[in-house]
Amino acid sequence: MDDYIVEMRHVTKRFPGIVANDDISLGIKKGEIFALLGENGAGKSTLMSILFGMYEPDEGEVYIRGKKVETFSPNHATALSIGMVHQHFKLVSDYTITENIILGMEPRRRLGGILPVVDVKSADKKVAELSRKFGLEVDPTQKIEDLNVSMQQRVEILKMLYREAEILIFDEPTAVLTPQEIEFLLEIIREMRRKGKTIILITHKLEEIKKVADRCAILCRGKLVDVCSVADTSTKEMAARMVGREVSFELEKEPAKFGKPVLQVENLTVKNDDGFTVVNDVSFSVRQGEIFAIAGVAGNGQVEIADAVAGLLPAAGGTIKLAGQDITRASVRARSEQGLAYIPEDRQARGLILDFTLSENLLLKRYYQQPYCVKNVLHRDKFDEKSRDLIQRFDIRSGQEEATIVRSMSGGNQQKAIVAREIELDAPCIVFVQPTRGLDIGAIEHIHEQILAERSKGKAILLISLELDEIMNLADTIGVIYNGQLLKTAPADSLTTNEVGQFMMGVKE
Amino acid sequence: MNDIIVNGMAFSLPLFIIAVGGIYSERSGVTNLALEGFQGAGAFFGALFVTLTSGMFAATSQLPMYLALVVAMAGGALYAVIHAVLCIKFKANQVISGVVVNILAMALTDFLTSQINTGVLGQSSDKFVLTVSGRWTIQPLASIPVIGGFFTNVYPFELIIIVVALVAWYAMYRTRFGMRLRACGDNPYAVDAAGCNVARLQFSAVLISGALSGLGGMCFAYSVFGNYSTSIYTGYGYLAIAAMIFGNWKIPQTLGACFLFGFARAAGYALVQKLGMPSTYSDLIMILPYALTLLLLVFFSKNNRAPRALGEIYDKGKR
Amino acid sequence: MKRNKTSPLSRAFLKVMGDEKRQAITIPLFAVFLSLLAGAVLMLLLGKNPVEGYRSLLQGCGMLPKAKYAGGKGMFTDFMSYLDIWTPMLFASLAVAVAYKAGLFNIGVSGQMLLGGFIASITVGYSGLPAVVAKPLTIVVCVVAGALAGMLIGVLKYRFNINEVVSAIMLNYIFQYVISFFILTFFVNPITRQSETVSAAARLTMQDVEIFGMKTVVPLGFILAIIAVFVMQFFINRTRQGFELKAVGTSRGAAEYAGISSKRTILLAMSLSGALAGLAGATYYLGYLGSIQPKVLTTTGFDAIAVCLLGNANPVGILASSFLITIITKGGTYMNSSIGVPQEVSSLITGLMLLFAACGVYIRARLKRAKDRQEQEEKEAQQAKKEGGKA
Repeated sequence: MDDYIVEMRHVTKRFPGIVANDDISLGIKKGEIFALLGENGAGKSTLMSILFGMYEPDEGEVYIRGKKVETFSPNHATALSIGMVHQHFKLVSDYTITENIILGMEPRRRLGGILPVVDVKSADKKVAELSRKFGLEVDPTQKIEDLNVSMQQRVEILKMLYREAEILIFDEPTAVLTPQEIEFLLEIIREMRRKGKTIILITHKLEEIKKVADRCAILCRGKLVDVCSVADTSTKEMAARMVGREVSFELEKEPAKFGKPVLQVENLTVKNDDGFTVVNDVSFSVRQGEIFAIAGVAGNGQVEIADAVAGLLPAAGGTIKLAGQDITRASVRARSEQGLAYIPEDRQARGLILDFTLSENLLLKRYYQQPYCVKNVLHRDKFDEKSRDLIQRFDIRSGQEEATIVRSMSGGNQQKAIVAREIELDAPCIVFVQPTRGLDIGAIEHIHEQILAERSKGKAILLISLELDEIMNLADTIGVIYNGQLLKTAPADSLTTNEVGQFMMGVKE
Repeated sequence: MNDIIVNGMAFSLPLFIIAVGGIYSERSGVTNLALEGFQGAGAFFGALFVTLTSGMFAATSQLPMYLALVVAMAGGALYAVIHAVLCIKFKANQVISGVVVNILAMALTDFLTSQINTGVLGQSSDKFVLTVSGRWTIQPLASIPVIGGFFTNVYPFELIIIVVALVAWYAMYRTRFGMRLRACGDNPYAVDAAGCNVARLQFSAVLISGALSGLGGMCFAYSVFGNYSTSIYTGYGYLAIAAMIFGNWKIPQTLGACFLFGFARAAGYALVQKLGMPSTYSDLIMILPYALTLLLLVFFSKNNRAPRALGEIYDKGKR
Repeated sequence: MKRNKTSPLSRAFLKVMGDEKRQAITIPLFAVFLSLLAGAVLMLLLGKNPVEGYRSLLQGCGMLPKAKYAGGKGMFTDFMSYLDIWTPMLFASLAVAVAYKAGLFNIGVSGQMLLGGFIASITVGYSGLPAVVAKPLTIVVCVVAGALAGMLIGVLKYRFNINEVVSAIMLNYIFQYVISFFILTFFVNPITRQSETVSAAARLTMQDVEIFGMKTVVPLGFILAIIAVFVMQFFINRTRQGFELKAVGTSRGAAEYAGISSKRTILLAMSLSGALAGLAGATYYLGYLGSIQPKVLTTTGFDAIAVCLLGNANPVGILASSFLITIITKGGTYMNSSIGVPQEVSSLITGLMLLFAACGVYIRARLKRAKDRQEQEEKEAQQAKKEGGKA
C-alpha cells in the first residue's frame, strides 16, 4: 500500500463528552482530489486537524509518504509539506498580504550587514510571482482588512503554496463564496492537481464533490461509513450514507398568499463604527405571508441591515416602518414590543447569554412583563413554568431542563431555544439571519419547517443567509446585496441560482 | 525654562519606557494593568541590590547605579512571571490579574523591605537609601538657548532609556519576533497556524513588559524619590497605561504622550515656585498629570483602536 | 498516546471540591486555606509560632480572650471595635461586587470613600446640628457624593470608552490630592496634622458607651451594613434591575439585543457602587476614625477587591469573606504588638488570598478536566468488564 501519500490507521480522537473520530482508517493517493463528506459535527475537521498536526490522536497512527508521524504540530506538518486552509481564515487583519503569507517563516536580510531585519520587499516579489503562477492574482501590499472574503481565501491558498505544500487541505472552502467564485476555486483546485498536488476537500456539498473529486470518504458521527469512487456513486446514495437515512431535498411549500406590507424599509443607510457606509440607500418591503430573502456574499452589509431593523445599529439615513408606524428612531425594546422578532446571526454573543440558565434565556424578551415581573420583582416560578412549556413544544434538549446553563448545550439546541423564544413572541414580523449556520441536517430541516410554518401563519419574514441553496428553497422574493446596495429585487421563481450569483458579485443588468 | 525641560525629560522618559513595556504586553494581546506593580517590584530589586552591595563599591562610584538598572530589569521580568502565568497559563481574567499583581507587589515589597532592613542590615526602616545619581551637563550644547535644557543636568539613565527604547522599537517593528508578537495581538490563531507558539510569544512579551517597567521604576526611584520605599507606587504605572492608550499602542506616539505629561507636570511645579505659593499648593500641581490624562482620554479614547485580540483569552482548542 | 491514571490523591481532592455548584464555595475556601498555609510558613520562617500568630489575630478581634486587659476593656470591647472596622469593609466590598456583577471593576472605592467622607465632614461633621438630623444627613451626603463619583466613572466608560480602571485610579489620585490640599489649608488640626475631628452628633460610631461596666464603641452603621447585604442579595437575584445588571455584565451584546440599555445599566451599577462606597466612607471617616489623614488613601477599597473575589461577588459570600479578611487586617496590629509578627505579614496574607482567588478559573478548569478523565476511565473500566464478561 505504499502508493498512499497519506495513510491514517485506526485514528481515534476524544473530546470531553464525545468521540470525534472513532477508529478511522483511510488512505489518500498522490495527485488525487480526495473529498471528506459529512454533516456538521461528523468529525471531518477534527480528522484533518490531526493530519495538520493541531491535535494529537488518542489512538492510532498517521503515515505520510509511508513514514510514521511521531510529532504532531502544525510546524511538523508544514515540514512534511502539508498545508491547510481553515474554515475560519487565520489572517492578521492589519498586516499586508505578504506579511500574512510569510508569517512564521519570514525571510531576513542584514541591515548594514549586522542587524537582522525581516525582508518584506523581496517577499513581496516572491508572492507576486507565486500568485501569477497559479492564477491567483493579488496585490501583495494590500492589507487584509481591505479584502473581501474570496480574496482572503486566495491569501490562505497562497500561504500554503508559499510553504511549498504538496498536500493541501481545504476545510469547507466554498461556504462563503458565490457560485461563480466557487467555479473559479474548483478550477484552481483542478489546476493544482494538474501540477501534481494532492488535495483534500472537506465539505458537505455533494455537487462540488461530484464536480471535482476523485474519491470520497463519508463520515457520520465520528465513524467512517464508506470510501467510494465519486464517478460510480450517485449523490443520493452519498447523501443517504452521510446522514444515515434517506433525505428529501425538497421542502413542502404552500402557495404564497401575500397580505399587507408589514416591514417597509426606505432608503436605509447605515454606517459602521469607523464611519464607513456599509448599507447604502436600501429599500424593500416585506408583506404578510412573504419570505423576503437577502442574498449576498458575507460582509456586504446584510447583517447591518438586520441590526438596523432591530435597532442595534442606528440608521444614518432613511426610514424603517413596522406595520405602518415609523420605528426608525425607536429603541430595541420598543421595536420588539411593536412586533419584531429577531434571530441574530451570532447566537452566542447576541442571541443568548451563555452563562444564564435556559429558563432565563427563553424569557430574555419578556422577563420584565407580567406575570414574570411584578413591580420590579421577578417571579422565577413563572419563568420556569413558561420555559418548560417552550422546551416541550420546541423539543429543546438539554441536561437539566430549564435550569441548564446554556453554554453547555449543543449549537442546534441553542438555536432551537432562540427560535422558540422569538416565535413565541408572536410578532407579525420575524427577521432570521443565518438561521441554520453550523447546524446538522436534522436541525436545518427542523428550522426550515418552522420558518415555513410562520409564513403560513401570515408572518412577514426577512431572511438573510449566505447559503444560496437555503434562499432558493425558501424565498418568495429575493433581494441581492452587493457592497451595501440592493442590486436586484425580484420574485424568487424568476431568478436562477446562477443569476443570483452574478448579482452577488456586483454584475449589473 | 531650563528647569522645565530638565525635569520634564527626567519624568517623561521613565514613564515612556514603562509605557513601552505596556505596549509590548498589549500588542501581544495580554491586557496589562500590572505595570504599576512591575515598576515597583523592579525598583525594589534594583534598590535591594544597591543596598546589599553598598560596601563593595567606592562611595562615589556610579557603577552600582548602572548595575541596579540591570538588576531592576531582571527583577521586573521575574515579578512579571506572576502576571504571565495567571493570564497565559491559568487563563485568569487579565484585568483582575493586573489588579491582583499590583496589590500583591505592594504587600510583598513592603514586607520584604522592612524584613531585610531589620534582618540583614540590622536597622528598622521601610526604605532603601540609594546612592546619588550623577548628572551630566554637556558643554557647549548646554549653552544653546532653549534647546540647551536638553543637555543640562541629564541623568545618565535618560540616555540608557533612549537606547533601550530604540532597541525595543527595532525588535517590535523590524524583527521576526516583533512581527509575530504583534500578530498575536491581532489574531493569535493565525500565529498558531503559522507554526509559532503563541503562549511563548505572549509570555516573553509580558516578561519584556516587566523588564522595561522595572527599568522605568528604578529610574523613578533614582530621580523623583531618591530612595526606595512603597511611595514608589504613586500611580505612574497607570499614567503609563494612559500614555499608551493615548499613543494608540504605537511607540513613537506614546513618546509624545509621555512628553506631554512630563512637561505639563514640570511646568506646574515651576509655576508654583515662580508665584511663590505655599507648599500645600504643590498638592494641586500633583494632580496635573492625572487630570490631564483623564482629559486627553476623553478626547482620544474613542478614536483609538486597541489591538483586536486584546484581553481575549487565547484557547488553542477553540477555532 | 498514554494517559496517566488519576491518582487516589486527586480522586480524593475531586471529591472534597464537589460538583460545580459546591465549587463556588470550596474553591474560595481552598484559596483561603492556601494563603493561611503560606502565612504559617512565613511565620515559621520569621521564627514565630503560627498557631500563636493566628490565635493573636482572633484575640485582637475580640473572638478569643487575651491574657490581660486594660481597665474598662475586655473581649467585648475588642469585638465591638472589630465590628466598627468591619462595617466599612463590608460596604466597600458590596460596592466592588455590584460593579463587578455588571462587568465593571470599581478600583476607585477608596477615592469615593474619601470624597464622601470629606464632604460629609465639612458639611455635617463641623456643623453643630443635633444628632437626629446630623447622623442621617451624614449618610445622605456620603451616599450622594459617592454615587456621583461612581457615576462619573460610568459616564467616562460608556460615553468616551475609557477603561474604568484607569479613570478610577486617576480620580483616586485627584481626590486624594485635592482633598489633602483643602484639609491642610483649611481644616487641619495643628497637633495631629489630621483634619479636625467631627462632632459626636454627626459621628456614626458612638464613643465610650458604658455596657457591662466597660467603655466601648457602638458602630451604628454595622446594622445598616448587615441590612445592605440582604437587600443586595435580593436586588441581584430577584429584581428586574438586578437581572439587567447581570445580563449586561455577562454579555453586553446579548443584553442590548434583549432591549436592555447597557448605558443606563452601567450608570446604575456605577452609581450604586459609588453610593455603597460612600457608605463605606461614612462609616470609616465619620465612624471608625472621626477624622481624615491627608495624602493617604485607605487600603480598605483595595482589600475590598480581595473580599469580593473571595466571596464570588455574592453578597452572602462577601459577608463571610469580609469577616475573615477583616480579622486578618485588624488582628494584624495585635499580632504585631503581642508576639512581634510584623504587620506586613497580614497584608501579605491578604495579597496571597487575592492571588489564589484569581486562580479560581484555572482550578475550576483543572477540576473539570480531571473529572472528565475520571468519568472516561470509569466508563472504559465498565466497558472492559462487560466485554470480559461476554468472553
